[in-house]
Formats: sequence, C-alpha cells, structure tokens
Amino acid sequence: MISFDLLINAIVAGVLLGGFYAAVSVGITISFGMLDIANIAQPAFILLGSYAAYIFNSAFHIDPILVGVVMTPIFFMIGIAVYRLYYYCFEMRNEQAIQGLAFFFGLLFVAEVSLILVFGVDYRFVEAPYIGPSLHFGMFDLPLRMLIPCVISLAMIGALQLYLSRSFIGRAILAVSQDGGALQLIAANPTRIKEIAFGISIATCALAGTFLIIIQPVEPSIGRDYIGRIFAICVLGGMTSFPGMVGAAMLIGVAESITATFYGPSWAPAVAFGFLLAVLAVRPAGLAGR
Amino acid sequence: MANSLAISGVNAGYGSVRVLENISLSVGHAETVALLGTNGNGKSTMMKCVMGLLRPTSGTITAEIDGERMDLIGRSTEEIVDLGIALVPEGRRLFPKLTVEENLLLGAFRKSARGAIAANLDSCYETFPRLKERRRQLAGSMSGGEQQMLALGRALMSAPRILLIDEPSVGLAPILVQRTIDKIKELKERFGLTVLMAEQNFNQAVRIADRGYVIVHGQIAFEGRDADELNNNELVRKFYLGL
Repeated sequence: MISFDLLINAIVAGVLLGGFYAAVSVGITISFGMLDIANIAQPAFILLGSYAAYIFNSAFHIDPILVGVVMTPIFFMIGIAVYRLYYYCFEMRNEQAIQGLAFFFGLLFVAEVSLILVFGVDYRFVEAPYIGPSLHFGMFDLPLRMLIPCVISLAMIGALQLYLSRSFIGRAILAVSQDGGALQLIAANPTRIKEIAFGISIATCALAGTFLIIIQPVEPSIGRDYIGRIFAICVLGGMTSFPGMVGAAMLIGVAESITATFYGPSWAPAVAFGFLLAVLAVRPAGLAGR
Repeated sequence: MANSLAISGVNAGYGSVRVLENISLSVGHAETVALLGTNGNGKSTMMKCVMGLLRPTSGTITAEIDGERMDLIGRSTEEIVDLGIALVPEGRRLFPKLTVEENLLLGAFRKSARGAIAANLDSCYETFPRLKERRRQLAGSMSGGEQQMLALGRALMSAPRILLIDEPSVGLAPILVQRTIDKIKELKERFGLTVLMAEQNFNQAVRIADRGYVIVHGQIAFEGRDADELNNNELVRKFYLGL
C-alpha cells in the first residue's frame, strides 16, 4: 500500500531535486543543444565547481554559494579558453565530430585523475548553516539544502533565458548553430558568438558544482553519474529550450525520487531513462522542441 | 551624402578555377543596377567578393558610404556589414528555427542599427504586413515568397546604405517574382538605398533597373545604360535570351 504522505513528500523532494538537475543541465543545453558541441566533460567542470567551494569553505569558512558566485566569471574565462583550444584544434578543420568528442572525453578523465591526485578519493563536503535544517509545512518537508539550490538555480536559468531572448548576443547564440555563415551577414562573428556561449555554459558549472556539494558529499568519480542524466534532460527538454529543460529536469527528478522512495534507489536511473525513451517515442522533438 | 560602389579589374575564383575575369562595374548613388546572367556565370561570386566572403586574386572594390570612401578588400564580412552594406543572399539564409520577429531583430545586430531598432521594425512590418501577421511563426515554416520578404526585411533591419540582392526570384512562382521585384523598388525608394541586384530573370529585373550589366562566363559582356539598351542589344538576345 502506497502511503499518501510518502508520495507527496517524494514528489516535493523530486521537484527540488529537479531544480538542482536543471542547474547542472543548463550548461549542456547551451553547448550541446544550441552550439552542437557534445561537451561530455561538463560534469568535470561541475566537480571543479564543487571542489572550489570545498577549498574555500574548508580553509576560510566562506559560504559555498558565495564561492560559486565569485567563481562564475573565472569559470567563464576557463570556458572561453577551452572553446578556443577546441576551435583551433578541431572545429576550424571540421574535425569536431569524432576527435572533438575524444577531446572532451579525455578532458573528463584528466580532470578526474587530477582531482584524485590532489584530493584523494575520500568524500568531501562543505559546511553552511542551511545544510542541516528543514522547513515544515503541514505534511511537506522542505530541506533547506535542497530548497536553496533549487531556488537559486531557477533564478539563474530565468536570468539566462532573459539574456538569450532579449540581448543581441543572446539571440545570435540561438541562431549560430542554424547558420553560422548567415550570422556574418548581420555583422556577427560566429566564432566569437560560440566562444561567449561556451563560456556561459562552463560558467554555470561554478554554481551547479556548489549545489552538488551542498546536496551530497562529493568524490572525484561522481561526475560520471551525471553524464547520462544531463544529456537525457537536455534531449527530453527539446535540446534548445530552457523551459523544456526545466520541465524535463523536474520530471526526471520526480521519477527518480518516487522510484527511490518506493522501489529502492538502484532503480532510479533505469526509470529516468525509460521515461526518456517513452517520451521520445511519442514526441521525438522532446517536450519543447521547435 | 553619397553611397556608391565601384568594382575595378576584379579577378576571382575557387582554387585553380577562375570564375571572374577582369570585372569592372559601378553602382552610383541611389541607383538600382542589375547584374544579369544565367546560372554559373559568376553573379554570386561577384556578390561574395563585395561582401568579403571570397577574396579576389586581383582588382579593387571600394565603397562610398555617407560620403566616405573605403577599400573593401581585406575586410571581414562582419566589418563590411558594419560599414552599411547588406546582402540578401541566394537561398535567403534565414534562421529557420527562430521566429520571424527573432530573425528581424537579429538583423539589427549591427551596432549603429541597434538604436533605431524599434523604428526599423515598424517600417519593416509596414512594408511587409504579412511578416507582422506571422511574427511569432518559425521562419522555416513559411512559404518561399514570405521567406524572401523576411530575408529582405532582415537585411533592412541593419539600416544599410548599399543593398546587394542575390537572385531574389529563385524558387518563386512567377506572380511572386513580380511582387518581390516591385517590393525591392518600393524599398529602394523608401529608404533611399543604392541597390545592386543579381538576377537571371531578365524581364523582371529590367523593369526596375536604372542600368545593367550582362555577365557571361565571368566577363562583362555588355553594359546597358538603360532598360531600352538592354532590351534591344544583339548580345543580350543571343547570349542571354537565347533568341
């Protein structure tokens, strides 16, 4: 017999988890969905964000979210540097399809091994006043360590959505994978546009990584758990749409949470991917595909 | 202030294939000049050279924008558009998965066009009421004629002084070709543009052109100072109209 209380709380926890999933997937929606760059090293940058929060939190007791905010422009610059390397080594020569994929795969491993060498394989965590307590509303239970990342994540995605739809560079980012050459005809340099967009996609990892280490202790190989999940959310959401991506993240979050509550956590990824297959069978363009 | 285009002695090609041989032509202030020729004679290549998409092996291309004369060769396409020269490319090159309005707004990416974006959008919608009706529709879902209107509208959003149009009639039904050509004339007069139009539909292009050049195998075969001269030329009848 399924308990109603348990079900409601599983759904609420799933929505909060979905908010966090949206933060880790927004970067892939930009790089993979809008730029056609299959950046499978995205989880490595998220982990980098986690460890940055860990370093400053454990050494100087700085609030992890504040570290995430401060690291965002630094991650933006890292993203620009990575894109330039990727562009000059592969994209410029039209070799991005396979070699570019290998490049990001390699980047993922190099990052993981570097983290192991520096921090070891132990789980690391951060301390903040909001990590323990929960808010209670009747039968709802809202742990602050889930609620705060969810709220900030949605605010970040809302701000990015405004930037993409209202600014000239944002609109050019939406257009660049459709016809880069045509962008030149409106006085925009497609490579520069992609560079900025990729910078933004990596910049989101600073906060996403912070959220990750707030939600759970982190060790270097944990990023792999997220590769499949973030691509699944991006595809399920319709590749280029933020609202679709947020909806997909919430759906996967709720599906995983309900499965974990009633059938055990090991079934959660299977249900999430089964869900993806079912949706793509009915709507091949995803939830909000154009 | 004067806006004009001067092309002199241009040779260009792709790899070892020479396409343009010693092309010279000019477009005077507020003129509509037609570059006429059938497929594969080098019309689009000429347009690409002006826009910096292809670098000529020799020759000069200069533009006068608001009275200031500038060399175009060696500049990037983005710089040339920034100067105030817009191209409506062959095949239209719209962003199919963006809406009509998003396509138009992107047209105003050029820095000096951003300030006047609201006014330009209004006059765009006024000239093409159809685009206003469909402004929330994806560009790729529109008919060929509507897409050509959108391509013209997007180019105008950059507030250009000189407008290059490559084969506006391609893929359109005859009635739409006529309408598109009429619109180009209307736009030219409304915005005081200097227009160079490459076209293979001779009769339609000559209706609105002040002057024209006939390009055959990458060379200017004939220069007509007005529509009558173009219509009555032996070369045109032989090479171009196949009469």
